[in-house]
Amino acid sequence: MKWLRPLLFPVGLFVILVLTLVVFRLPVLDSLKLLVTGAAGDKFGWSRTAVKSTPLLLTGLGMVVAWRGGMYNIGGEGQFIVGGLFGAIVAKFLVFGSLHVPPFITIPLILIACVLGGAAWAWLAGWLYVRRGVEVVISTILLNFIAIQVLGYACSGPLQEMKKQVPLTDLLPDNAMLPKLSRQMDLHLGVVIAWVVAILVFFYLFRTRSGYRLRLVGENSNMARANRIQVDRTRLLAMCLSGSLCGLAGGIEYLGMAGQLGSGFSQQWGFLGIPVALLGGLHPLLCLGSAGIFGALFAGSEDLARFTQAGTTLVYVIQAMAVLGYVGIKAQLDRRPVVEPS
Amino acid sequence: MSTLVVSQITKRFGSLLALDAVSLRFESGEIHSVLGENGAGKSTLMNVMAGFVKPDQGSVTLNGSPIPLGLAFACKRMGIEMIHQHFTLVPAFTVAENLALARLDRLNTIAETNEIASKGLAIAKRLGWKMDAEAKTGDLSVGVQQRIEIIKAISGDADVLIFDEPTAVLAPDEVEDLFRVLRQLKEAGKCVILIAHKLSEVLAISDRVSVLRRGKLIATASIQDVDASTLANWMVGEMPPKRDRETLKESTEGFSVNSLTVLGDRKDVAVKSVSFSIRQREILGFGGVDGNGQVELAECLAQVRTSSSGSMTWLGQPVTQDEPRIGYVPQDRQSDGLALSMSIQDNMLVSGLDRPSLWKGNFIIRSAIWEWAKSLIKNYAIKAESPLDLAGSLSGGNQQKVVVSRTLDNHPPFLVVVNPGRGLDIKATDYVHEMILSARDGGAAVALFSTDLDELYKLSDRVLFMVGGKLVEDAGALSLVGGVAP
Repeated sequence: MKWLRPLLFPVGLFVILVLTLVVFRLPVLDSLKLLVTGAAGDKFGWSRTAVKSTPLLLTGLGMVVAWRGGMYNIGGEGQFIVGGLFGAIVAKFLVFGSLHVPPFITIPLILIACVLGGAAWAWLAGWLYVRRGVEVVISTILLNFIAIQVLGYACSGPLQEMKKQVPLTDLLPDNAMLPKLSRQMDLHLGVVIAWVVAILVFFYLFRTRSGYRLRLVGENSNMARANRIQVDRTRLLAMCLSGSLCGLAGGIEYLGMAGQLGSGFSQQWGFLGIPVALLGGLHPLLCLGSAGIFGALFAGSEDLARFTQAGTTLVYVIQAMAVLGYVGIKAQLDRRPVVEPS
Repeated sequence: MSTLVVSQITKRFGSLLALDAVSLRFESGEIHSVLGENGAGKSTLMNVMAGFVKPDQGSVTLNGSPIPLGLAFACKRMGIEMIHQHFTLVPAFTVAENLALARLDRLNTIAETNEIASKGLAIAKRLGWKMDAEAKTGDLSVGVQQRIEIIKAISGDADVLIFDEPTAVLAPDEVEDLFRVLRQLKEAGKCVILIAHKLSEVLAISDRVSVLRRGKLIATASIQDVDASTLANWMVGEMPPKRDRETLKESTEGFSVNSLTVLGDRKDVAVKSVSFSIRQREILGFGGVDGNGQVELAECLAQVRTSSSGSMTWLGQPVTQDEPRIGYVPQDRQSDGLALSMSIQDNMLVSGLDRPSLWKGNFIIRSAIWEWAKSLIKNYAIKAESPLDLAGSLSGGNQQKVVVSRTLDNHPPFLVVVNPGRGLDIKATDYVHEMILSARDGGAAVALFSTDLDELYKLSDRVLFMVGGKLVEDAGALSLVGGVAP
């Protein structure tokens, strides 16, 4: 029966999907057809799926790194937003300033700023934990709210577009955005960047000294301490790396899709990274799969939303149920037999 | 007047017989100490009497009526209170709030807190203790916290008071004061039961004393009829034979420690200005009852914990981060030694972080680690199918072998080992012991911490005992309980 386990997730997800459709009183076969054609029916569908799964993959990877290090970062959303904000600040000077910097310099600089922004936001939570013992779960959630408020302020204040009419930042010109495959599709370079990053994260976690230390601290910090590994420093590193990835997700969303920031900049991408990481078994390469599936659900449900009132609510319901199911099954599988005290 | 009678109590934990048909009688108006080594069963017995542990057989009666076994709250209501070694106070609460918790059933609104606490404060006054009702409990010293705990217990009109090693956390003058209060309680007709292992204190305060050894009651006696060495012999039984060891001709100066002081987790002074030296090719054993500073000293020697004062030298030079290379086998393999949900290979790698053959720059060479792990599994006879098996899937003995093998394979010139045989069967224990002995013969200086006297004498070339954070010379059974000054 053990070989059946890899099938558990796709089959389970499919069952949940069908059940959800039934509960929503949607025609099951027609809806499934719409979902599939919307997500993978033609090249536009594939492009939509890839683009939607990109921020999911990156924030998911961010969660993987932090959670592997024993830091339960729930602040992907805030780190995503602050990353985007840092990028917008740099863009304000380099793209909209009087400097006339060429795009092949501004794009990497903006992305680096996003990475640093996300890292800084996560570092705050890490520092609070290491120095003051503040639980990361709580501090990162609260930092999310702060980031959302700061975003709202920035978009109607210092970063607002030049005409000062709408609460948005200036729209980046096309040549300052990430290059796209074709003008008709959204498919952009960020998709490739995300895949490369997933592989890099895998190599970092499982093939380097620092990644090994990080995993060890996450698995058993007492053991790490007894072997003279600097636990606090490793935890801070885990948070910063996690924040970097979420910040990068924000940057790629900014430069790939949105082109400007507004209060709706993040569509919960930071939060959705958590189910992506969980269903990916906290493994960077499996996250490619889980991010792909959720991306496909988002892409497919766009068409579905045009025909029914259920819309994207459906996707959230499916996601939530999938995570609950996964956590339940995992808890059952991970149960250890009672051990007699020695 | 009340009498607590324990009859024929038997309690098993798995294969371990913690209490073997123990019968005892505790009278009111007296202080009755229960003595024993680690694992002798004293804590289990106390937990049975206070309702925290349900025995397999036997009964306990208070004034002739049986107490509800295994029901702590019901025992509390009958007037049996236990003052735990680890306090049951809320650090963020004020003293008054903590005292009010003693009568939780009557506490309906916050406004009543002070009213309920006032009884406790009155008791404090009667006992001669000054209490600031508004002080935050977490800010107070351990001694004062213990007082709150005691007051909590007596404010509920308890007749039987069980103290679990109350002096372990106290400074000498605090101990004096505690004894004064214990005598006062005795005079008030309470039945005071004391778990202890410091003989001098037992002799100073008790009226009667009972000794447990390996779950069995050895004897009960009035304090006039016994002296320290009798009690020590009762506790330890027959001392294991000392090993004859050829004189350490070849050994040279190794690891020296000079007036080292180490703080514990609660910033208490756990190790008090100890000095000793371990030569190369020598095992220095540190015996003593758990909780006398062994773990803190071991962690300091292994450079996992910093010292607050004193110095450590290796071959005459001050110890640094890199010199000497240290091998450390921590006390609890499951909590400090292994990551149970990682593979055996990954668990071994922690000792291979500085092995050049396993790394290419900062990158892991997977095949090299696999080969290395396989060789350790083979050389140390670890029962595992593959290096990729989870450490948690191994038996206790094989888990310990993983920890010991990865440590010894580095050939550390200085080795710190804590309770290496704890929880292992005889075969695994012998194997681990052999490994430690051969490391010694290979030239290592070894600091062995063990609460198991058999292990201690079997392995050590010299033995010191730790009592209250200080070192005492080996003087047979007595030294275990601090009967002999250093």
